[in-house]
Amino acid sequence: MRLPALVLASLVGAAFAAPAIVRYPPDHLDLDARRQPPSAAHWFGTDDLGRDVVARVLYGARVSLGVGLLSAAVAGISGTGIGGVAGYAGGALDAVLMRGTDAMLAVPRLPLLMIAASILQPTVGVLVVLIGLAGWMETARVLRAEFMTLRTRGFVESARAAGAGHARLVMVHLLPNAAHALIVSVTLAVARGILLESALSFFGVGVRPPQASWGNMLYQAQSSLTTEPWLAVAPGLFILITTWSVNLVGDGLSRSRSSQP
Amino acid sequence: MCVLLAVAAMVSMTCGRRSAGVPPSNDLLIIGYDREPDTLNRFSTHILEDIQSCISEGLTTTDEQMQVVPLLAAEVPTLQNGGVQIRADGGMDVTWKLRPGVTWHDGTPLTSADVKFTVDAINGPNYNPESTDGFDRIRSVDTPDPLTAIVHYREVYAPFDIQFIRGVLPKHVLDGRDIDHAQDYNRNPLGTGPYRLAEWRAGEYILLERVPHYWRGDEYPRIRRLLFKFIANTNTRINQLANGEVHLVALVPWDKYGDIAGLRSILVHKTPGNAYEHVTLNERQFPPFADVRVRRALLHALDRERYTKTILDGLAPVAHGPIQPASWAYTDHVTRYRFDPVRARLLLEEAGWTLGANGIRQRDGRPLAFTLITQAGYAIRENVAQAIERQLRDVGVDVRVELHDGTAISAIWFEGRFDAMLHWWQMPSDPELTTFFAADRTPPAGRNINYFKDDELTRVLYASDRTVDRAERLRLLHRAQAMVADAVPELPLYTVTRLDAVPKTLQHFKGNPTNTGVFWNVHEWDIR
Amino acid sequence: MCTFLGKRTLQTIPLLFVISAVVFLLIHAAPGGPLAIYLSNPNVRPEDIERLRRALGLDRPLWQQYWSWLAAFTRGDWGYSFSDGRLVASRILERVPASLELVGTSILVALALTLPVGIVAGVQRGRWFDRITTSAAVAGISLPAFWFGLLLQIVFASALGWLPSSGRTSPGMALSGAGTMGGVTDHVRHLLLPVTVLGVVQAAAWSRYLRASMIETLAQPFVLAAHARGLPMRDVVMRHALRHAIGSVLAIVMVDAALLVSGAVMTESVFAWPGLGSLFTEALARRDYSVLMALLMLTSTAIVVFNVAADALHAIVDPRIAR
Repeated sequence: MRLPALVLASLVGAAFAAPAIVRYPPDHLDLDARRQPPSAAHWFGTDDLGRDVVARVLYGARVSLGVGLLSAAVAGISGTGIGGVAGYAGGALDAVLMRGTDAMLAVPRLPLLMIAASILQPTVGVLVVLIGLAGWMETARVLRAEFMTLRTRGFVESARAAGAGHARLVMVHLLPNAAHALIVSVTLAVARGILLESALSFFGVGVRPPQASWGNMLYQAQSSLTTEPWLAVAPGLFILITTWSVNLVGDGLSRSRSSQP
Repeated sequence: MCVLLAVAAMVSMTCGRRSAGVPPSNDLLIIGYDREPDTLNRFSTHILEDIQSCISEGLTTTDEQMQVVPLLAAEVPTLQNGGVQIRADGGMDVTWKLRPGVTWHDGTPLTSADVKFTVDAINGPNYNPESTDGFDRIRSVDTPDPLTAIVHYREVYAPFDIQFIRGVLPKHVLDGRDIDHAQDYNRNPLGTGPYRLAEWRAGEYILLERVPHYWRGDEYPRIRRLLFKFIANTNTRINQLANGEVHLVALVPWDKYGDIAGLRSILVHKTPGNAYEHVTLNERQFPPFADVRVRRALLHALDRERYTKTILDGLAPVAHGPIQPASWAYTDHVTRYRFDPVRARLLLEEAGWTLGANGIRQRDGRPLAFTLITQAGYAIRENVAQAIERQLRDVGVDVRVELHDGTAISAIWFEGRFDAMLHWWQMPSDPELTTFFAADRTPPAGRNINYFKDDELTRVLYASDRTVDRAERLRLLHRAQAMVADAVPELPLYTVTRLDAVPKTLQHFKGNPTNTGVFWNVHEWDIR
Repeated sequence: MCTFLGKRTLQTIPLLFVISAVVFLLIHAAPGGPLAIYLSNPNVRPEDIERLRRALGLDRPLWQQYWSWLAAFTRGDWGYSFSDGRLVASRILERVPASLELVGTSILVALALTLPVGIVAGVQRGRWFDRITTSAAVAGISLPAFWFGLLLQIVFASALGWLPSSGRTSPGMALSGAGTMGGVTDHVRHLLLPVTVLGVVQAAAWSRYLRASMIETLAQPFVLAAHARGLPMRDVVMRHALRHAIGSVLAIVMVDAALLVSGAVMTESVFAWPGLGSLFTEALARRDYSVLMALLMLTSTAIVVFNVAADALHAIVDPRIAR
């Protein structure tokens, strides 16, 4: 768990410190040095406009990590709030909250995002909020299902019989036991957020060029997959490392919790 | 688990190591197409003329030299051959002589009544064609005999010779019907061309088969079946070409040139196009563009030679105006603007735009900053936009690039809600410029989305439209091109080159720079 | 159970009305409309645009357009497509077989992968099987569908030449009149790559839920008790633990499955698959409002129905949660 957390922290650090690390600005064009393979001068090569891929990956991390991590946080918080309350309370409140969730789910995500982004003009902040808002419904449904199962368990019923209040029941008995599902859901939300931003770039409503994100780098690289594979390797690798470390951190969290009595 | 096993069993049973497709032959040619047509009725759509033009033929068509040549007409009417007569009241009469012996695919003869029916249907209440351009100026059609149609125009109309380029509607099928919903015709049109529809599988393909007795002779067309496969995703389309699953891809995007140039069985035809990529400068939305010094400075700041050598892979020469070398009206006697950032800065200074602390020029406290919109999903275009952004910033102009999908772009320019736009116009074969530059042709009346106003230019352009004398029209169009080059209402970047990937075994493929498409001479195609 | 389903169904109907209004507003808020495509043709005059606008009824106020759409829709009349003038219902129906084929197979494959992988990885947490499948799942989650599909095409179609790169049938083959068996084989060969993409990506996410759920359940007192009573591990897992672990997984499987039913937009685009997903892409590009509305309402209905089904299934597997 230490290693993945460290990796994640250094990714975030590198994104913040990008100006100090990179040797070229991310939008520095060199039309005479286009599509160069990796070399000492350009560790990950150069892109279609001769821009340094290292610089773009690190600056792109600001967008992609921001969108991925923050939208996962939005999903975690609103998903837990709504799904948890619905699953715990049941009855009319459950019906109202879940029909609302169904409604959000039922409005297709990609067109919703495309239209919203084209009206609001996609800055990083707007994208984070939009992708976060579009991604909490699964978490809510999973949490609700989990709470419904747990509610009927003996230990919860005995705690209730022993006079535990709502807050105590939820915080002490339900949430910790539902944490595994929450953690998986939030971890998946990180990757999903990053990939969703890539899909938005595909439709032209992602971050605006010349700004870089891993998603739009990956999208742009698909046309030269056979000829300039390094253009895809760099952003792909960073997405993979991010997903991997987030997953292991999540797994570590649930392990350390379940090892407690 | 059983599913997996079943799948695995299937794979081992069926997958030998073999080539995915069949080679092209005179039995079957497979074309990779980027989208499915909505209708095959040529008057209801302007896109995807390729499939339609194999079935329905026009009275004329445009050849690979952009010359108007007769197809169902016996000859192209002109002043010289007496086919065109200017009336004293300012109108004109055009006499179309039809080619004798042409029949519709059901055996009914093609007659002048069909021509008259087409005009009446388009101008009538029972049909909503896409465009009524030119038809709206026709007062009536006379049919003195089955092979002669005399079209009476209310005024002189220079592009009369391509009036019926989309063909004619069969009167005996459509008379008195609601053509918009005549799906039997719209989905499977009755034509006179070398092919007819054999099968249309929604979302998958259209299969055309040769007709037994084509009017050019039973030996035409030589290829028995044409199969148009719909593959919207460009990478997938090119993959299929490389694998031999499709044989021909028309209009290959340039960033794919490297992928297909090395294919053994494929020849890449390069046709200098009749379209030019340019930056439209909207003077109404962003008033600083109204100053000619600013517009000239912007053009001097762009290293267009370098773009064509690098980003455009040498495939597209620099353009200097709206009419391209492929057109008969082209002239190169116009002002040219070299890459000269020093001159660009000087011109901007002269116009009162001085450098601010942040490196952006300003005047009266307002920055020289605008938004450049362009269509999403075109790698080359996104790259050019970013190069422009970068080079204009070098002279102190701040550009924000914005991407939109194609439909949004159309709506935005039509409403004039943009500062600058990177795009191209596919020009028709007729070199009319009025709709793009005349002062009164701003949307919705035309396509002057620069909102550029020059009374003298407007006068010259209208004069060029109202003459059918080729030499006089040429003189006026040359004059107009020189005036446009001086005033720089927009920033011309490069001439678009058409790339068509065809099998090396295909003979008589000629290409076509206009929106007529490359299938105009499909009857001659031969695979050996 | 029946009252539960009945109640849920009744709650659903007003919900669908609200959704239809929101969706209608949204797609009309997107810049451009069904006529925008004609604007790029220099021969189309402003009078033509006005005439077409009136002919298609687009000149009326938005609420009137919505009202007449709603009135027709509730009568079962989905109207005509704005782009080709055909009946919306027939445009959608002709795409349904291809969609069901692709999505149905993919969901089966995904489930076939999820169940064994999730259970075994959960039971053997931290051991080699868990580690390998975890890495595979992480890779699956990190790959965009457009990318994974392209990779498979390059390997299996271009390099090895084993499979067709895309499409649903080989037209050349269908034309050469190969027998029924040949047709079926051809179909399966076309299905393999897109099903791999959809199945693997879904299984990667789903198996993470099942694994986590298994781990959690196996640590519960009642499982430990069952184990202590001397029941074999196999029975403990299959009879007791899985039943409790499945709830959250069911919820997510049903949501994802419903989204797939409406079309796997990206995958269908990469593989030129003629399903509802590619119809949606086309309709969106053309702003074909009537087709879009029908497709979106179909999706919404599917999601609502599948969610009801998820709750019902959950109640069947784990009867204690039913009220």
